[in-house]
Amino acid sequence: MIRKTGIQDFTKPGGQVAELEPADWMKLPAPYDQMDKPLKKLTEDQRKRMDATLDGVVAIGILPPSMPEEEKAFVDRFLAGVEKLFDAKDNWTFLQPLYHSLEYCVKCQICSDACPAYVASGRQDIYRPTMRPELLRRIISTYVKKEHPLLRKFKASNIELNAQALIRLAELAYRCTLCRRCAQVCLLGCDNALISREIRKIFSQQMGIAPKEVHEKGSVQQIKVGSSTGMTPPALADILEFTEEEIAEKTGKKIKIPVDKKGSDILLLHNAGEFLAWPENLEAFAILFDAAGIDWTLSSELVGYDAVNYGVWYDDVQFARVALRHAQAAKNLGVKRISLGECGHAHKAMIVVADRVLTGELNIPRESALPLMEKIVMSGRIKLDPGRNNFPVTLHDPCNMVRLMGIVEPQRRILRKIAPQFREMTPHGVENYCCGGGSGFAIIQSNNFPDWRSSVSGRMKLKQTLDAFADAPSADVKKYVCAPCSNCKGQYRELFNTYGVWEKSGIFYGGLVELIVNAMADLKQPFIQWEWH
Amino acid sequence: MPQIELAGKTYEVDEDGFLQELDKWSEEFAEAYAHVEEIDGKLTEEHWMVINYLRNYYQQFGIAPMIRKICKDLKIDMKKLYELFPTGPAKGACKLAGLSKPTGCV
Ligand code: SF4
Ligand code: SF4
Repeated sequence: MIRKTGIQDFTKPGGQVAELEPADWMKLPAPYDQMDKPLKKLTEDQRKRMDATLDGVVAIGILPPSMPEEEKAFVDRFLAGVEKLFDAKDNWTFLQPLYHSLEYCVKCQICSDACPAYVASGRQDIYRPTMRPELLRRIISTYVKKEHPLLRKFKASNIELNAQALIRLAELAYRCTLCRRCAQVCLLGCDNALISREIRKIFSQQMGIAPKEVHEKGSVQQIKVGSSTGMTPPALADILEFTEEEIAEKTGKKIKIPVDKKGSDILLLHNAGEFLAWPENLEAFAILFDAAGIDWTLSSELVGYDAVNYGVWYDDVQFARVALRHAQAAKNLGVKRISLGECGHAHKAMIVVADRVLTGELNIPRESALPLMEKIVMSGRIKLDPGRNNFPVTLHDPCNMVRLMGIVEPQRRILRKIAPQFREMTPHGVENYCCGGGSGFAIIQSNNFPDWRSSVSGRMKLKQTLDAFADAPSADVKKYVCAPCSNCKGQYRELFNTYGVWEKSGIFYGGLVELIVNAMADLKQPFIQWEWH
Repeated sequence: MPQIELAGKTYEVDEDGFLQELDKWSEEFAEAYAHVEEIDGKLTEEHWMVINYLRNYYQQFGIAPMIRKICKDLKIDMKKLYELFPTGPAKGACKLAGLSKPTGCV
């Protein structure tokens, strides 16, 4: 049973603001309707170390301050961070959309039903896209603008702030995937996802609070050893050698993956997680580019071989550090342009947001690999046999490429040409639902966060994907979800494993370039192997 | 920091049970930990083959190897890997081998 919750519940000590129960969640199609389990509960011992009083779930795991002075310092630090958000010197990048989104919202709640987490949870108030902004608005009214109590009463903008409320707000900022589906439906152009990120930013930049997978093991590790996976240049060399062997075995082609080739047309930036978890994506890129005669290279420079830039989810400083290293790697090689492989957040980071950071010689042209793939497929340079992809295929639209950047048609024109049984999900394109693993969620692997991600934030995507294949539900018919983003693939893997989707429905997931290579008429055997679920 | 007690010794682990002090790893550790990762009975030669492979690779390259590479080099398939380590190669096998938890978009 869902209880109505409001702002006042955030400041109450102890307990939980919301209780998540399977009976409330959006129904999945059979046989998946019988599978829901309650989320794993934290042990008593864990609850002493980590605050779980928002919804029983932990993404960050904050230890609450125990002494009154500590609590005051905690709140003061946060408020100092809020002030910085509104200082053009500190926040020139995002001040304008932040100000707009906070000031223009008329609280009509149209955006709520656009949010997959809110709807899938059974409409828990805390997951409304407007909940985080409202908390921030009240904090600003009461503590930053210090509006007169009567005005606050009239505007209902008062809040009695404490550390407990802030810790819950920090966790809540990690219940939004930054998919921006809410922003798209807002008639006034308010971007509540941007506010989620600004809140994360205060916690990270001002207070050093962020999920460890994203910060310490993520962007910090990337800058230190070269990749958030921990991959060093010798490990990269070992992986590439393995990949070349695999290509030779699968295709009979001897292809050397170009590394540090100076003056190439293209520096290809791949998510390094791809190399470890889905090397066939890297292989397929190499096979396709080789066949099409593309002049490309990878970089073996630290950071230059891992396209990820987790800062885009939570921290401007970390973001800028990594973006500069990426651009520097390209400059050192003297390439004409940078092309982003199948990684959505890296598209947003390098092609869109980095425009604010890269100037002069570092402002090297940057583009998505999707239109390039389309050009290759449409050019007729490679013989493609769609008959090789004669199985049901649907397409997932990564939010950052599609909704944010408007790369909608290239991948579809490719699929219409090479996948005879291609069908769309409902809804799709810029209206598509997030995989539920966006903004770092797919890599946050501790405590019970993965449970929440599979049960709540990914629920809509699972339903949508199953619905797209409703005409061929049997596990005997192999089906393919094309998800051209490493992060989305990680989320699909988790969803499919949790619900046993391969076993029950025969649905497999993979990238776009793999399907193109699978259609290449001169390969002796099919490129896609259906065994690595 | 959470701790885990195995065969009379205490180890520092992260919230998901990955060993924090990598030099504390021993064969007894792996043996005693196996049941937590849903492995029945004593570790077999095949388990040790995977564990040793992981440790060697980790010592050389500082990360866990690609699953594809484990399978190829050890001539086993994914199914077998999951039979040996029911909680999966990235969790169970890496934990028993005393590797730190895989990070990044893997
Ligand atoms: S953000 Fe836009 S759609 Fe949502 S409540 Fe405010 S005005 Fe309405
Ligand atoms: S960005 Fe996406 S997840 Fe976040 S509130 Fe908006 S619709 Fe929900």
